[in-house]
Amino acid sequence: MMFTISAMILIPFIGALLASIFRGGAKAIALVFSLVPLVISLVMYQQIHDPSTLSYVEHYGWISALGISLKFGIDGLSLPLLILTGIVFPLTIIYSWRLPYTPQVFYPLMLVLESALIGVFTALDFIIFYIFWELTLIPLYFVIGMFGGPKREHAAIKFFIYTHVGSLVMLLGVFALYFESGIGSFDLLSLIGAFATLPTDLRNIIFAAILFGFIVKLPSVPLHGWLPDAYCEAPTPGTVVIASLLSKMGAYGILRISLPMLPAVPSLTLFVKIIAILGVVSILYGAFLALAQTDLKRMIAFSSVSHMGYVLIGVASFSALSLSGAMFQMFSHGLIIALLFMLVGVIQSNTGTRMIPELSGITNKMPIVAFLVMGGFLASLGLPGMSGFVAEFLTLMGAYPSLPVYVLLALVGVLITASYYIWAMQRALFGPYNENLGEVKDVGAIQMLPMAILLGLIILFGLHPAPILKLFEAVAVFVEVLI
Amino acid sequence: MQEYAVLIPLLPIFGFILTLFLGRKLPGQGSFIPVLAIAGSTIISVGVLLEIYPSGEVIHQSWHWFSLINIGILVDPLAAVMLCMVSFVSLIIHIYSMEYMKGQGERYYAETSLFTAGMLGVVIADNLFLFFLSWELVGLCSYLLIGYWYRKPSAASAAKKAFLVTRVGDVLLLAGIFITYANMIKFAPDSQYPLSLLEIFRHITDIPPLQLTLITLLFLGGAAGKSGQFPLHIWLPDAMEGPTTVSALIHAATMVTAGVYLVARTFPMFLAAPYSLVVVAYLGAFTALIAATMGLVMNDIKRVLAYSTISQLGYMMLALGSGAIIGMAAVGIAMLHLISHAFFKALLFLCSGSVIHATHTNDIRLMGGLLSKMKITGYTMLIGSLALAGIPITSGYYSKDAIIEAALEYGLGSGDLLPYLMGLFTVLLTATYIFRAWFMAFVGKSRLPKGKPHESPWLMTVPLIILAFCSLVFAGAVNSWFGGKIFVEYVGRTFERIAGTDPEVLSAMGGYHLMEVHVEHSFLILPLAFAVVGVLIAAMVYWAKKPDPESIVSPTNPIYRLLITKYYELPIIDFISMRITMGVAILTKVVERIFIDGSIWLITQTGFLLGEILRMAQSGIVRHYATAVALGTGLLIIGLWGWL
Repeated sequence: MMFTISAMILIPFIGALLASIFRGGAKAIALVFSLVPLVISLVMYQQIHDPSTLSYVEHYGWISALGISLKFGIDGLSLPLLILTGIVFPLTIIYSWRLPYTPQVFYPLMLVLESALIGVFTALDFIIFYIFWELTLIPLYFVIGMFGGPKREHAAIKFFIYTHVGSLVMLLGVFALYFESGIGSFDLLSLIGAFATLPTDLRNIIFAAILFGFIVKLPSVPLHGWLPDAYCEAPTPGTVVIASLLSKMGAYGILRISLPMLPAVPSLTLFVKIIAILGVVSILYGAFLALAQTDLKRMIAFSSVSHMGYVLIGVASFSALSLSGAMFQMFSHGLIIALLFMLVGVIQSNTGTRMIPELSGITNKMPIVAFLVMGGFLASLGLPGMSGFVAEFLTLMGAYPSLPVYVLLALVGVLITASYYIWAMQRALFGPYNENLGEVKDVGAIQMLPMAILLGLIILFGLHPAPILKLFEAVAVFVEVLI
Repeated sequence: MQEYAVLIPLLPIFGFILTLFLGRKLPGQGSFIPVLAIAGSTIISVGVLLEIYPSGEVIHQSWHWFSLINIGILVDPLAAVMLCMVSFVSLIIHIYSMEYMKGQGERYYAETSLFTAGMLGVVIADNLFLFFLSWELVGLCSYLLIGYWYRKPSAASAAKKAFLVTRVGDVLLLAGIFITYANMIKFAPDSQYPLSLLEIFRHITDIPPLQLTLITLLFLGGAAGKSGQFPLHIWLPDAMEGPTTVSALIHAATMVTAGVYLVARTFPMFLAAPYSLVVVAYLGAFTALIAATMGLVMNDIKRVLAYSTISQLGYMMLALGSGAIIGMAAVGIAMLHLISHAFFKALLFLCSGSVIHATHTNDIRLMGGLLSKMKITGYTMLIGSLALAGIPITSGYYSKDAIIEAALEYGLGSGDLLPYLMGLFTVLLTATYIFRAWFMAFVGKSRLPKGKPHESPWLMTVPLIILAFCSLVFAGAVNSWFGGKIFVEYVGRTFERIAGTDPEVLSAMGGYHLMEVHVEHSFLILPLAFAVVGVLIAAMVYWAKKPDPESIVSPTNPIYRLLITKYYELPIIDFISMRITMGVAILTKVVERIFIDGSIWLITQTGFLLGEILRMAQSGIVRHYATAVALGTGLLIIGLWGWL
């Protein structure tokens, strides 16, 4: 099992090269190669003994003078995210099968994106982590810029300015940590260990800088300015991947790097309070904004801001239960949001609009889409029996003992979330059919397949969350030791 | 039978899956599948009850699920009688639906089957997580079934309202569950499953009483949402947009009783929580009264019944609240009326369904004289109405009398007679509004604009007869005729064998003084007198027409206007839900535009400006660059020196 992770990163990349050469078979190549990481991660899932520690570790020297090495590994935090990546990419590729994107361009970009994401979720050296982190932006830039909506350039630039500022501040923070501690290694664990040895005033600044970079990516209010445009102007497969997977990079960074540093931060209580406030404000502000939208895609985009707020609540709670719930929220939200954006894509392409007031009674013409939309909306509003509920329930319940007021405020968000989804369903799906839409076809079998699979997984993990949750729980217990 | 108890909620789930996927291809849209599945549940439920009766034995099976949560079933006397009622009433209504909903799509049968599974799950759950999951499943099915005719905008709107209003209650319940958890891990850190009901009961005495008050009031909030207690009752009348069978099944007999069941299920917590039971009693009595007044003026036959449901649920809450004096017996009394009500209210709804089926209208002003054309429906509905009004020897007489008596004992014991008086006055209103509806529909001259009403087919009338029989004999048979209060005593013993639920200890925590109150027999005749007077008033006005109803029912009558606008409910709800919530939403939109987008604009503009300035520095003269480099390096060195 020497090169498992390297293979996982390289195989989609090789697929990208092949797909760009064999234009005729680009789709098939993309599908096969995007499935490989899923297979590998499932094998890892079968064989992993102790998810609380790192396994499958690979370590190669690279720039030894600076202490940079190629180091990879997985544990209970990264493995579910690898599985999620492995699920979402093939499904997105199936979804795009009939869409008019130039195959020899579009599919290689998707595969490169998959490689980069796997790199982010497995890297154990900060420089490698950072390289993959930035590498995700390049294919995404082209996906948005070449296949996006009318305001795609504006959206892409905005997206880049935001995430670059965030990444740069994070990089400076890590450089300060590296040089000031003088440990001479960018190994993540060593860096985190060295953090406690720094002078106190510096620790606050470094922690804030690193957190900033992750929070922009998450995103949390008030740094979410890039999100609505990027989500809405990207083509549907791009939106799916950004919302489902790229937003998890920020959450992953916080859990992997910021959280272990947190106990050594001198102004601990202040930072915990800030994180909790950011979390609850994101939940509420995102929910209210979603309520005010008339564009279905924008509404779902803001719902995503709202749901990622739970991750911050879990981080601030210092409860293993809440934290495992927050981690499960990453996994669950990845499935749910992918389904929702796929559905919006279908609605827009089949009816010609995604404005809620223009859609009325589409259940009459598109019963399958309507069924899936109901499933997706109910999952997203946290209906028990679906994965989102398990995540939100555990996050909030675990956080209640330490953050009671925040949890009660978050519950108001739960109510608002139900309001905008149920209201949107009433207006868009039910009532008499809007004849101005003309003859509208239901979703075809090829696009229905990935969406049905997603809904099935959402229900499966809602009723039986243990297979994924137990990995997260194994990692999450460490916070109880931290305090 | 005990080993099959798990199947009670599972069979209808299988029924749901089979009907949903195969129903279209089967005869009768597969409507027989849920009937068979629920018949199975009914048989097992009755079998289990017979096995554990009368010892008060408790069946408990539990497995690990995930994290701190187990999955399991708990069948004690309380759950056992509830299981029998839910599965039996659901079975009857499913049989009736085979005819009533013929040709309306297999989705209906699938959803009602899923609904039944959810309700049985609520009853049988042994922990708060599974309870909440089933509770929400029930809510979801209610949402789907109210909006069953989704093309109708009013149905879609009513479904939305039902979901969101009950969701308010659900969130309160969720908060209660969180606080329970917080207290459990603090005061009972050794418990493996902190949400398991039995573990919670075992540790009630470890939890501070005022925390219990907070928890139970939040639970009561959840119960108010589902059971239509004031002010969360507003969704229930609108829910009548669904098919009548749905109203009978969900909005009368079963789902709406889930809230009452929640309070009964966690009654030991209420008993140990100061003030909570008083709030329960007042909420119940007030809801009973206010809903009855609104029931007086409704013209839609289903809405009359909807307000009557709210009012009767209020009675059940009142019964539970009087547990502050009478202790665990309150659970038995509330359950007696709950089951009794389930029979006669299901009967009343199915009768109104039969009427609507025949006349194609819901408006009682357009009916009249139906008794001669629909004998079975008319007389079974009369039995239902008598039961609702509380006239002997019907089931409703015994079960409601028990509640009024309990409220009186509460009043005498605590010195606060107000809940009793509200409950007593409601008896009069109840008899009036239901007989107003019955007289308007079944006697006098037909006012139907067209069409000839006829009796419904046997698949619909046989269930009516069965339910009428139950409405006549149930409470009398189980709690009066054969040697005393068998039912109340049996259900009252629910918590006897469950650790940590000694009523003496708990009521001492809650500050309630349980006592035996002696009630004068002359008081006990009062509810009957009120009921008879109520019927007589209805007969005078709507049968004999003295005084003529036209003179009372006019928009100029301020009391009538207050009632027909449901106490100006719409403007108030509109203000809270639409104005405030949407106001905040639009505010966030403005904030987003000005601050978030605005700051980006500002930053990019500054960027461009800086770029312009820096471009001027790009003079192309090497000397300038060299100066800049030297200057910069110098500053850097000085800076680093200062730092080190």
